[in-house]
Amino acid sequence: MVSTVSMAVDLGGIRMRNPLNTASGTYGNGVQFEGFYDVGATLGAITCKGVAAVPWDGNPAPRLAELPGSAIMNSVGLQNPGVRGFVERYGDYLQGLRDRGCQVICQIAGHSLDEYRQATELFEELAPFASGFEVNISCPNIAQGGAAMGATPEAAAQVMSVVRPLTARPVVVKMAPHDVAEIGRALEASGADALSLINTIPGMAIDIRTRRSRLARATAGVSGPAIHAIAVRMVWECANAVTIPICGIGGVASGADAAEMILAGATAVSVGTANLYDPTCVPRILVELEEWACGQGVSDINELIGAFEC
Amino acid sequence: MHSDAVTQHEFVVRGNERAAEGIWRLVIESPVAGQLAPGQFMNLRVPGDGSHILGIPLSFKGANAQAQTVELLYAVVGEGTRRLSQMVAGQSSTLVGPCGRGWWLPEGEGRALLVAGGIGLPPVLAAARMLADAGIGFDAIAGSRTADMVLSDDIEDLARLAGADGRVITCTDDGTAGRRGFVTEAMGELLRERAYAQAYACGPNVMMAGVARLADEHGVACQVSMERMMGCGFGACSCCNVALVAGGYALCCTDGPVFDAREVAW
Ligand SMILES: Cc1cc2nc3c(=O)[nH]c(=O)nc-3n(C[C@H](O)[C@H](O)[C@H](O)COP(=O)(O)OP(=O)(O)OC[C@H]3O[C@@H](n4cnc5c(N)ncnc54)[C@H](O)[C@@H]3O)c2cc1C
Ligand SMILES: Cc1cc2nc3c(=O)[nH]c(=O)nc-3n(C[C@H](O)[C@H](O)[C@H](O)COP(=O)(O)O)c2cc1C
Ligand code: FES
Repeated sequence: MVSTVSMAVDLGGIRMRNPLNTASGTYGNGVQFEGFYDVGATLGAITCKGVAAVPWDGNPAPRLAELPGSAIMNSVGLQNPGVRGFVERYGDYLQGLRDRGCQVICQIAGHSLDEYRQATELFEELAPFASGFEVNISCPNIAQGGAAMGATPEAAAQVMSVVRPLTARPVVVKMAPHDVAEIGRALEASGADALSLINTIPGMAIDIRTRRSRLARATAGVSGPAIHAIAVRMVWECANAVTIPICGIGGVASGADAAEMILAGATAVSVGTANLYDPTCVPRILVELEEWACGQGVSDINELIGAFEC
Repeated sequence: MHSDAVTQHEFVVRGNERAAEGIWRLVIESPVAGQLAPGQFMNLRVPGDGSHILGIPLSFKGANAQAQTVELLYAVVGEGTRRLSQMVAGQSSTLVGPCGRGWWLPEGEGRALLVAGGIGLPPVLAAARMLADAGIGFDAIAGSRTADMVLSDDIEDLARLAGADGRVITCTDDGTAGRRGFVTEAMGELLRERAYAQAYACGPNVMMAGVARLADEHGVACQVSMERMMGCGFGACSCCNVALVAGGYALCCTDGPVFDAREVAW
């Protein structure tokens, strides 16, 4: 196929050569996929695993269960080596991606406002390779902070009031799957350059024989194709409430899924769980997306953002 | 591109037959055959029903680089393995591999002791071949719950690899085949009779913990092949954590599945 469609998009100042991004925590830090395809030549952007100022161990095993109907549930709990460890291990590789035209989004995690501040300061100082940051205020798997930091418009805005003054680079905020219009508006007002949604949906899976959770924690985050329709609806609601761009996330496994996100109002689209069970899916999704855009008779994919009619 | 990275390969089923009660023998033809080291594993995708999405991580018993074939044994325990058991010769799919870090040769001089529980036998057979190729003598214990579940052909392979002075003991929990009792009882006896430089174990977690404790009591180094639920099999999701004595976690799929038993927080 000779493409006549321009695929480049701008996610709040992060200029991507195509709309495809990766969902934090489902893509390692990119290097794990180098055996499957040329990461730097393929993606519009990569979003790295959430990283805090200091290393976190994450939650005990088991952290994963498969659910019937195309879904999984995880309670990893942001296991990460801290900003210094992350930069030491992956900095050179990520700079290489950046040099090759793939934008690098580093994800900031914290348990408290102070921890978000520390992590942002460290990233600012140590990560020149970051094209922008994604602030995770929606992890359902950590005891304090995490999702609570994004539970209300006020709490979400408070995190932004700490992070925003510390960096001139674009800041994306990763949102939890609830009240997305209201919280999205609060984040836009407090200086977010873009929003990404949705994070996993809190769920439970009980082993009825032992009466215990199938994971080490009682609740965990549901992801995968089963949540796609919910995610599309939330992207649409949020897009109708804000003027900043959105990165659509949730159960994307095909070009058609990505196209739905774009029609619902997403500027960029992240592939998450599908990377785990189908590690070569990204290049295929990109081809399918381009074919769809071509078939829609547009010359620029931006014409299709929010083009859902109702 | 990083040439040592895990990648995706096609595979074609060459054989898929019942080997014992609830256990199947799968022979696949795949380019991965030439890349596998003993104790590594691969993550197989079973085609068909899209509602079951995760791959099935499986160790292998043996690989033939020339014929491009790999032999695996698996227990049917749930939806994924049930559908795998329905694949017939000629059908194809994809796998991700070779995954993880496998067995290593004993560091000191001396015999090795192999312990397999149930469907832990395939990677133990891969270790047996590795040791035989290196000219290292070993004894082995293979345990099953009951006679119907004993993989007799594979235990014969184990005996062949162990050679004339290798002892191979079969046990069942209920005594319906071989000796009655757990593998750790037979292991205790062997440890009193012979000196070992290294133990290799794969089986249920409680069994491996018991083997690790016994080995440690006798001052024998011990490698264990661990099992975890896996999201990817190549280090992308951090779902497969193994708690370490030193604190924190390792990832079963990239740091393991084979670990030094003394590093694992049982
Ligand atoms: C590195 C590695 C090597 C393995 N090698 C072999 C092998 O050689 N032969 C073999 O028979 N099995 C092996 N397993 C276990 C095998 O992967 C699981 O039994 C299989 O994935 C179950 O899939 P399912 O869809 O049939 O079961 P599900 O329906 O998903 O689950 C059925 C039951 O099996 C348990 N289970 C599911 N996945 C795993 C897993 N990855 N590890 C442990 N328990 C699990 C579940 O908790 C549940 O109780 C290995 C696992 C790992 C991690
Ligand atoms: C194993 C796993 C780990 C995850 N880790 C993170 C994380 O560190 N930070 C984050 O914001 N989201 C994390 N997520 C959520 C994903 O980024 C994504 O929002 C969610 O899985 C929905 O998309 P999907 O259905 O395409 O997976 C994780 C998801 C999974 C499955
Ligand atoms: S299974 Fe994904 S990191 Fe080990």
